[in-house]
Amino acid sequence: MAKAELKTKHKTEIEDSSSLKGTLASVFLLGFFIIITWVSVYYLFVERF
Amino acid sequence: MVNSAVSKIKVDPRDAKLSMAHFYVAFIALALGGLMGLLQTLVRSGKYELPGGIGYYQILTVHGVMMGLVLTTFFIMGFQYAAVSRTAGTHSNAARRTGWIGFWTMTAGTAMAATMVLLNKASVLYTFYAPLQAHWIFYLGLTLVVVGSWIDGAAQIMTYAKWRKNNPGKPSPLLSFMAVINTVLWIVATLGVAATVLFQLLPWSLGLVDTVDVLVSRTLFWYFGHPLVYFWLLPAYMCWYTIIPKIIGGKIFSDSLARLSFILFLLFSIPVGFHHQLTEPGIDPAWKFFQVVLTFMVVIPSLMTAFSLFATFERYGRSKGATGLFGWFKVLPWGDARFTVPFIGMASFIPAGAGGIINASNQMDQVVHNTIWITGHFHLTAATSVVLTFFGISYWLIPHLTGRKLTKAMNKLGIIQGWVWFIGMVFMSGAMHFEGLLGGPRRSAFSTYGGAKQAAEWIPYQIAQAVGGSILFLGIILVLIIFINLAFFAPKGEEEFPVGEAENPQESAPMVFENWKLWLGITAALILFAYTIPFIDIIQNAPPGSKGFKTW
Repeated sequence: MAKAELKTKHKTEIEDSSSLKGTLASVFLLGFFIIITWVSVYYLFVERF
Repeated sequence: MVNSAVSKIKVDPRDAKLSMAHFYVAFIALALGGLMGLLQTLVRSGKYELPGGIGYYQILTVHGVMMGLVLTTFFIMGFQYAAVSRTAGTHSNAARRTGWIGFWTMTAGTAMAATMVLLNKASVLYTFYAPLQAHWIFYLGLTLVVVGSWIDGAAQIMTYAKWRKNNPGKPSPLLSFMAVINTVLWIVATLGVAATVLFQLLPWSLGLVDTVDVLVSRTLFWYFGHPLVYFWLLPAYMCWYTIIPKIIGGKIFSDSLARLSFILFLLFSIPVGFHHQLTEPGIDPAWKFFQVVLTFMVVIPSLMTAFSLFATFERYGRSKGATGLFGWFKVLPWGDARFTVPFIGMASFIPAGAGGIINASNQMDQVVHNTIWITGHFHLTAATSVVLTFFGISYWLIPHLTGRKLTKAMNKLGIIQGWVWFIGMVFMSGAMHFEGLLGGPRRSAFSTYGGAKQAAEWIPYQIAQAVGGSILFLGIILVLIIFINLAFFAPKGEEEFPVGEAENPQESAPMVFENWKLWLGITAALILFAYTIPFIDIIQNAPPGSKGFKTW
């Protein structure tokens, strides 16, 4: 029983340290930044031409 | 095995000497080109005039040629030569001799081109667009720079080929593989510029022919000009993918992903030159559209790189106990110039890349074309992302090659240098972007355009550029102080040449990545498809050629 408990705990730890949640969030932020700048200049184009 | 691995950890002193020779030329170019850059921003502020009748376009040419062509090419060749020596083994005597021949050919060419620019016989800017006509010695000098770089690159390919022969069936060391991809990219790309210089500009400047086909020469130039920017960028990516993980104490996220992204850059950075010519008449819009689509393919390896770098940082941070969504960001080694300076470069690539997507979009190019927005853009890509990474590399590579140490004081000065550069660039490149959106032109000296109201709106931004340019010049002085210290005065010792390891060493890269016939075949097929028909069209429907102009 105790052994099984230890195993579970160990597994959770590995999952956490290999998490790439921050990477996913960062790439999404990067994507949003690209879209926002692109759309802003697109509006300048639509307004001027 | 262990012995050979240990013996490769340090770059052989004979190879180090050749690398250093490249760096001396590169940093002299930085000093000269940097001073010209400062003068340009001062002139454009409207508060300063050049003494002794020196022309704005002359110093603009010196700046562009020194920074865009000389600093970059020499630094890259020196860095890659050392990187191949470090990871694929010391260069053979034959390869080293080849490297030296390449170096001296490039240096002779640089001296010829620089002399003509300084004599005011070649104020044609670094793009040397026809029908602006320079002295033939300028074009001959550029030819020697290109031919020299081919010979120089051949040395790297020889050592890579030797490694492959000695290690059949094994994927080559990642850093050597990347260096060879970049050299191959460069050779394929420079065929275009070699063609226009040899067959058009040289005979025309020598008076052998009277006129030049402007559109053909510009098309050949941009066939070269776009992959040129990737030739600058890929060595920075080499540092980000393979060296930064080692510096921070982490691992390379994926060796295979890194190789795949480099191959995609080889495939998609060449057949895309038309996106620099979107406003150019005489090219069928359908072919412009096709090349714009290929341009956007480069977004894929760029975002793969961003993902991979974030993942390396997050994995490292979490291994240090960082928690939360962005906790890993705080534990990165901000006190280490070898990390922080390239990191500022990486972060700058986010707005730089976003700007690039705007430039390549046909409609939005109408907004920014030939405005100083473009100048702002490549001062973020080349003059921040790329050169800050190059500076970060030299902070450990120069002492490694000269048998010295990066001292604490120099490390601190390096970090200050990185931030000074960042602040200067926020002012200068930021103001260039905004002025460009208001229509401010690039490649022009100060003018009020006859008191036009619109031109008056640009002047505050030009003053901001002069402030930024002055801060950046201070940054250049700091770089030069550090370079001279590390090359000649820093205490003797051993500085590490960091090379990262993959997170999962069991997962070896698929051998298909080393299949050069396949990748060169696809590269050639894409180029032929993207360029053959429009080229025939351009030549068949050409207007009369132009005689040469000297506007300076």
